[in-house]
Amino acid sequence: MNTLTTALGTGRLRWLRAALTVLVAAAVAVGAPFYFAPFQVFQLTMVLLYAVALAGLNLLVGFGGQISLGHGAFFAAGAYTAAVMLDRYDTGHLATLPAAAAGCFLLGLGFGVPALRLRGLYLALVTLSFAVFLPPLLKRLESVTGGSMGLTVDKLEPPAWSGLAEDQWTYFVVLAVTAVALLLARNLLRSRVGRALLAVRDNESAAEVMGVRLALHKTLAFAWSAMFAGVAGCLYTWVIGFVSPDSFSFVLSITLLAGLVVGGLASLYGPLLGAAFVMYVPSVSQDLSEAAPGVVFGLLIITVMFVAPTGLAGLPGRVLGAVTRRLQRTAPLDRTPGAEPAFGAGPVPDAHPKSPAESGPSATVTPADPEVADAEPVGAPPRTEKE
Amino acid sequence: MSEPTTDRTEGAASTEPDFLEVRDLHAGYGQARVLQGLDFSVARGEVCAVLGPNGAGKTTTLRALCGMVRGRGSVTLNGAQLLGRSPEQAARLGVAHVPEGRGTFNELTVEENLHIGAHLRTGLRRRGRAGRAAVVADLERIYGYFPTLRRRSRQAAGSLSGGEQQMLAIGRALMLRPSLLLLDEPSLGLAPLVTRELFEIVRAVNEEERTTVVVVEQNAQLALGIAHRAHVLEAGRLVLSGPAAQIREDGQVAEVYLGVSVRSRKAG
Amino acid sequence: MSTVTDLLQQVVEGLGSGAVYASLALALVLIHRFTGIVNFAQGELAMLSTYVAWQLVASGMPFWLALPVTLAVSFAGGMLVERIVIRPVQGAPELTVVIVTVGLFIFVNALAGLIWSFTVKDFPQPFPDGALDLAGVRVDWSTLGIIGVVAVVMGLLYLLFQHTSVGLVMRAVACNPASARLSGIRVGRVLMLGWGLAATVGAVSGVLVAPVLFLEPNMMGGVLIYAFAAATLGGFDSPVGAVVGGLFVGVAETLTGAYVDVIGADLKVGVPLVIILAVLLVRPQGLFGRAAVERA
Repeated sequence: MNTLTTALGTGRLRWLRAALTVLVAAAVAVGAPFYFAPFQVFQLTMVLLYAVALAGLNLLVGFGGQISLGHGAFFAAGAYTAAVMLDRYDTGHLATLPAAAAGCFLLGLGFGVPALRLRGLYLALVTLSFAVFLPPLLKRLESVTGGSMGLTVDKLEPPAWSGLAEDQWTYFVVLAVTAVALLLARNLLRSRVGRALLAVRDNESAAEVMGVRLALHKTLAFAWSAMFAGVAGCLYTWVIGFVSPDSFSFVLSITLLAGLVVGGLASLYGPLLGAAFVMYVPSVSQDLSEAAPGVVFGLLIITVMFVAPTGLAGLPGRVLGAVTRRLQRTAPLDRTPGAEPAFGAGPVPDAHPKSPAESGPSATVTPADPEVADAEPVGAPPRTEKE
Repeated sequence: MSEPTTDRTEGAASTEPDFLEVRDLHAGYGQARVLQGLDFSVARGEVCAVLGPNGAGKTTTLRALCGMVRGRGSVTLNGAQLLGRSPEQAARLGVAHVPEGRGTFNELTVEENLHIGAHLRTGLRRRGRAGRAAVVADLERIYGYFPTLRRRSRQAAGSLSGGEQQMLAIGRALMLRPSLLLLDEPSLGLAPLVTRELFEIVRAVNEEERTTVVVVEQNAQLALGIAHRAHVLEAGRLVLSGPAAQIREDGQVAEVYLGVSVRSRKAG
Repeated sequence: MSTVTDLLQQVVEGLGSGAVYASLALALVLIHRFTGIVNFAQGELAMLSTYVAWQLVASGMPFWLALPVTLAVSFAGGMLVERIVIRPVQGAPELTVVIVTVGLFIFVNALAGLIWSFTVKDFPQPFPDGALDLAGVRVDWSTLGIIGVVAVVMGLLYLLFQHTSVGLVMRAVACNPASARLSGIRVGRVLMLGWGLAATVGAVSGVLVAPVLFLEPNMMGGVLIYAFAAATLGGFDSPVGAVVGGLFVGVAETLTGAYVDVIGADLKVGVPLVIILAVLLVRPQGLFGRAAVERA
């Protein structure tokens, strides 16, 4: 949460710092395609569009606290919408963006409704099942999707007045859309929707009591996150120029979630960092072996969850917090070991940390949300399940 | 069995007055500090009542004694340091804790619950006919204290009434053959008749087995009836200590700290 | 008459694949009973065990020796995973734990590919070729074998949990770990046992399915979805539910693929999705599960 407050900015000094950061970032972003080779520019472009997808997933998972193992499906929906429009209906690129966005928003709304009834784990199962189901479905709907062979479409053509190469023009277009998308994500979070999401994530019953309409906001979270993924998919089609069912297997969904987690859940820069991971880790380690990316990715995910559950973007905040705590004289008394998850009652909600004697070498690990892990003081109402 | 008004201070073993010794205990949950430096001792074979209003830190004290809550200070049982140990280790040192809410294994039968209680005595090292026979004998002993449990030995613990579950929880704790028995609010949610029976059994256990007992209770009257000494907590501090009889007789204390109307004691 | 025979034929085949789903679902349920976690990596761990078996056989060990060795290795592996990967996040929010198991999924999958490459390998078929003919219905020995093995596993688990002291201790930990601690039970060790057990059951599942699906790192991915559906249908805390659910899912899958032309063989993978959705919307705790209770 430190990162969030820092990013949202309070105080003039912070404003200045934020403005400077933005300026530098913008300069770097705009200058990049002139400095790097076409393939590297292409990679940067991919990072940008993955960041859009992850920003959407972040809304749902990081801020909304819901699990989705099937966001690749929305990505695919956006990608195919654009591809079909370009291939079959010759609409031109510009029209595909709002179509993909609107279509995926509606799709997300549709998903959001049954998702309401599903608690975290079950939602993960359902979304995963759907992600597994999608490629065969796409192959079956051959007349529309081109089946296993997929669809090839024209890429973006740089206009004559720009004097830019194809990769550079594509980069700038994607950069523009990404910037708008990230800004939109940021604004959503500061809006009523965002605050509601955070309230729901942190303490659902309390939020309900305070008048937050759970159903509406959970569904909206799904819709928005689906829209972002769909836009990213549309951009994917523009950049790659080819879609096929096998590009969107459930591996994509898992990779997206993994990337978001590594980059930083519930942080504003997490999606960018995560997108960089998704893009670069596989391509770098692929030289070693076909399987190497997975090994690295898997290890990274687990390590990040152990060491920095808020992801790498949250690391500075946590380090700062730990340092400040040390500076304060009174060290907090340790976490309370005690009641464990109640088994046999379905998927388990937040559990209290285990006995210190069991910790062994991991005794210094703090779980993802340190506040959550503390047992309630005597007399406080019991923690309710997170949905 | 009716009123337990005899002064039990005389009968308490005074050979080991510091069998359980608590020194400067600070404990709490996360940032919240509940206990602010507790000091008290319990003699071996004594029944000690820990009393006080809600939120005074009674349950936290018990939890600190058996490793469920961390803290600073010192808690020693017969010289061995308890503070900082895990509940499993505390059990190995002979501490049996009956938690608030009973903590029975609801899916297991009554007899299985009791067998779990004897877990430490039936481990791989202690297996063998002698070990098993001892456990069976202990089962009989427990059933002797709690005949209802014998009748329901094959029933799932979850199907028992609140009072029966409490008996089961205490029985399970006793299967450990503990040197220190900790009871956390045993009367909570139970009818008066049942609680009186329960406390009488605890007194009997203490008298027959010389088990040291620390009982945390909101129902001060009940606890003082079987206790040798009492300690009164308020806001995490010890405000009063003394022989149970004395505290019981002190009407002002009773009303201020315990909310007990002493005048109606004998009538109840 | 032949349509009935055909139907029965399909049902038999469905039971065969259902038994495989049931065994992986059993592993899932075991984990969930003990640690409250749904282990997304269960299938990959099973696949890894199967590779171990394959490696032993390929190095010359007779199959019937390789199998118990594999089971032992899987048991140890499961214990290790609990201790190293799961224990550190035991108290963390659900999302963190899910992500860790997803990370484990990715890692184990890639690890198998790294060590043994992604080329498909043949796996020895432990059951004899050929089939029984029961009134016109062809029942492969392998199908019977698979069902038989799963039945034996169920029986052994039942004996373990109901008639041994280890099993009693495990049930106690699954029921109320805090109270188990108070009775001196080292809950951490019991959890390790639970994971070891689940890994062993998963290994059985992998070994059963490998001759049919051919051994490759992505072998269990598909099975996992069906196992999830089975566990959801049966109830994530019920071993009996896992088996019943598995058999049902297997039969449903086969029948749908055979008789519903719209679905056909390629869209059969939509069956688990439909089952999961249906169960969650109608009776979330599954057939044999307890209704989810707010912790008091």
